[in-house]
Amino acid sequence: MRIIGKLNYDFVDKMGGAMRISIALAVISIASLLYHQGPNWGVEFTGGTEIHIKLAKSLETNVLKGELAESGFPSESVQRFGLPGDNEHLIQFAPELATFDQIGDFQKSLEDLFAESENFQGASIQRIDYIGPRVGKELITKALLSILIACVGILGYLVLRFEFGFAVGAVIALIHDTLITVGAISLADKEFTLAIVAALLTVIGYSVNDTIVIFDRIRENMGNFPEKGFRELVNDGISQTLSRTLLTAITVFIVLVPLFFLGGSVIHDFAFTLMVGVIIGTYSSVFVASAFVVYWRKRKETI
Amino acid sequence: MKGVSRLWITVIALFSFLCVILLTPTFMGDKLPSWWGKVFSSKGISLGLDLEGGIFLLLGVETEEGIEQEMLIVEEALVSKFREGRILVKNSSVSDGTLTIGLFPGADMDKALEIARDEFEEVADINSEGFLVRLSIKPSYVDELEQNSIERVRHIIENRVKDFGLVEPSIQKSGDDRILVQVPGASKKDRQRIVNLIKKTAVLEFKIVRAVGASRENLVAATESENEKQVREKGLAIHEGDTGNQNERFFLTERLASVTGEYISDARITFDNYGNPAVGFTFRGEGASKFGKLTESNIGERLAIVLDGVIKSAPTIQDKITYQGTITGTFTPEEAKDLALILRSGSLPVPVRVEQERTVGPSLGQDSIEKGRFSMIVGGILVLVFMVFFYRLQGVVANAALVLNILFIMGFLSAFGVTLTLPGIAGLVLTLGMAVDGNIIIFERIKEELVAGKTAVHSIETGYARSVWTILDANVTTLLTALILFWLGTGPIKGFAATLSIGIVSTVFSNLIVARVFTNMLYRDKKLTEVSI
Repeated sequence: MRIIGKLNYDFVDKMGGAMRISIALAVISIASLLYHQGPNWGVEFTGGTEIHIKLAKSLETNVLKGELAESGFPSESVQRFGLPGDNEHLIQFAPELATFDQIGDFQKSLEDLFAESENFQGASIQRIDYIGPRVGKELITKALLSILIACVGILGYLVLRFEFGFAVGAVIALIHDTLITVGAISLADKEFTLAIVAALLTVIGYSVNDTIVIFDRIRENMGNFPEKGFRELVNDGISQTLSRTLLTAITVFIVLVPLFFLGGSVIHDFAFTLMVGVIIGTYSSVFVASAFVVYWRKRKETI
Repeated sequence: MKGVSRLWITVIALFSFLCVILLTPTFMGDKLPSWWGKVFSSKGISLGLDLEGGIFLLLGVETEEGIEQEMLIVEEALVSKFREGRILVKNSSVSDGTLTIGLFPGADMDKALEIARDEFEEVADINSEGFLVRLSIKPSYVDELEQNSIERVRHIIENRVKDFGLVEPSIQKSGDDRILVQVPGASKKDRQRIVNLIKKTAVLEFKIVRAVGASRENLVAATESENEKQVREKGLAIHEGDTGNQNERFFLTERLASVTGEYISDARITFDNYGNPAVGFTFRGEGASKFGKLTESNIGERLAIVLDGVIKSAPTIQDKITYQGTITGTFTPEEAKDLALILRSGSLPVPVRVEQERTVGPSLGQDSIEKGRFSMIVGGILVLVFMVFFYRLQGVVANAALVLNILFIMGFLSAFGVTLTLPGIAGLVLTLGMAVDGNIIIFERIKEELVAGKTAVHSIETGYARSVWTILDANVTTLLTALILFWLGTGPIKGFAATLSIGIVSTVFSNLIVARVFTNMLYRDKKLTEVSI
């Protein structure tokens, strides 16, 4: 069974239009990041305290925040976590609102509140996270550094294995994917945590993986059919690998969907990031990475 | 069709057998027969705190304070050496690891420098300017001091946590100047006690009380000083009191203690005359004689027992005491027990601060494991079904390879002692999706060859041969990112990276070797004319 038979589709012809889509998505991502004043950094990065609670029944975040304020909780924000049916919330304290030594008191008064208030019957504290300011700064540096080093490492490997233009194309595609995925996280107003950084790095790995399979085929065709024009070679390469490109995206998606819906609140955002990343990564292998290679060849030939 | 490689079959069988043995403890849990541990390892995959529940604390060690203390010691020693050498000291101060001693004009600077160099050349750079002698601590000595105090702090905290009687706590050095404490299975109730246990510097001092007051200001005035700095310059200190007596809020004592808790050989919970919990302690050798001298010459005076700068009790000395003493105060039995434990383990040479905490309730951990496992099973089954639906018999081959792949990954996780964390489970699930990618690349290539009219045997051969480099290139880059994550990441991220790295290596093996061997076995005896794909 084949999902895609022999294709004569002119991908290169559509690359100009795709570029507009990519630019539009990138602009939306940057606009969203600017509007939200950067990523919604999780407590791991900003420092502060986060208490993850699970309620027995559904409660509006406003009501929740009000009740907390009444019982002497100067929380900075309360947000829903996971799927709506989970009834899980994150209560956050800015570093200046809660020092480490106060957490014990907060924990106690929260447990008292759970025991007294009707709204909180059956509620429980799931997790307490405290991040000191120094660790937060270090983690941001490390997260950005790891993404940067990953890009450089991949570029280095690709330069060794492919022509320079291919390597640059793959790296542009992965920057494109990272930016748009971060934009999607920002648009969905999700917290940017360490797990999200891990997910982003996985997206980078996936995106490059996908790009390489196409590049490999283009390169193989270049050797086998030196008489063909570059444009045709790229079109052939993309067409020949297209069913693999789609099938792999589908299988990865097949495992991500249960993760997204059934994996529990903590894994939920991780799965969301990967889902967006897989779609963008698949698209960019064809319409960003390959498109750049075509552009790069053209420039080289005209010079 | 080429024959089946005996070598690879043996390797695959061996790996499978090994992994089954490695994983038996993970799945059998407590039902493991007792002889198992004698023959094989009885340790299964270890779960991270986010899955098991427990407390994770990252401690920063205030090594700067240790350096400050060290320079104060140098100050005291050098000033007295100068006095012995009849060099007149005008003033001295310590800041940022530099000791500055001002001498009166006309002082013998050559002699002063000689004394300083004799004593402290190894630990500090020494120079002079006018009538100032300056000692700047050497960076190499700072390193030595820091490493020393971190190791001591780690050791003391280890003693405290182990003494507390919790299951398998782990206390390790993390990075250059941090200590990571992990206590799996600790409940939220234990949280505060564990935090107190670890954070308490526990410097115990014994000082003679000079005056008692209701406020700091009263005591400052009583010494005819303007502020507390002047009080300190007079060799005195003001301490807060926590003796339970509302009239005795603050105490005036001498600044330096003549006896400290470093001489304590044992401490335990006991009860005072009214039946309230208290902490009894015993001095050893030198401490006993010092304590005897202090109490003997101050009979009738009050002795302040100062813990971390706060006066816990201030009994009147009735008689000379040498070996034994009791700290009374307002303790709950738990507090008294913990304080005794802390005193036994000794005081921290420098304070620690908590840089990061994660306390995970056991219910969240349980929930995460169950949901992680469930979503993994659902995802796995969907992939298996999809592959058979799409690739028929070759799909079955891919599935067999996938199942073995999962077995290998879990086996290696267990063998390398990788801690499985929640992101790790997510990484594992993702590997499920990515694992069949290699099979898809190969199968699509085989299909292409078949469509191009090649024979079945030739198609399979070419499909595998042509895909080798594609699969390697594609996976090397992912492995590269995983290794970077492993290198830079901490805690859960490291677990994720380790899981991903093992997953990639095992996946390439299963794509290129296992699936190939299975395909060959399948078509071994037939004259291959048609491939079910």
